[in-house]
Amino acid sequence: MNRKIALGLLVAIAISAAPVAPKSTTSEVAKMTLKVGDTAPDFTLLSDQWKTVKLSDYHGKKNVFLAIYVLAFTGG
Amino acid sequence: MDSPAANAAFAKQIGIKFPLLSDMNRKMLKSYGVLKGYDEQNETYEWALRANIVIDKQGIVQFVEEGDSAVDPNTALTMCTTLHKKEPAK
Repeated sequence: MNRKIALGLLVAIAISAAPVAPKSTTSEVAKMTLKVGDTAPDFTLLSDQWKTVKLSDYHGKKNVFLAIYVLAFTGG
Repeated sequence: MDSPAANAAFAKQIGIKFPLLSDMNRKMLKSYGVLKGYDEQNETYEWALRANIVIDKQGIVQFVEEGDSAVDPNTALTMCTTLHKKEPAK
């Protein structure tokens, strides 16, 4: 495995059915808007250790493997 | 949305050594275009796509896969290895 070269980040998301106002785009076949070659938007998220993790923390230091998991069965 | 506490329990349960992140306010999902909405009976619902994204040290997206193919992380992992091999030896 390549633990030293790639930092795996997992965003665990349970599906959420909260209505939002007022109206957003209907999308039957959802596609990501992010493309290869784009600058990845910075983010600040809370880790499972309740620490703030920013994408920019890894700039110039590590490649980042970002896995977005819906319904990760974390029990949350 | 899974809370940090739920993620911590999950990480402990299966021995995960990398950070599990919570996007409680969905900002990151929106900025990455991963959060999608659809309208049904006068309500809008949102859900996130499953996705694997590889970002290099310069912050540039090098690999994206979404949907069913993103369930298997091996292609993204191979991309990480390729990126590492491209880097000059120190």
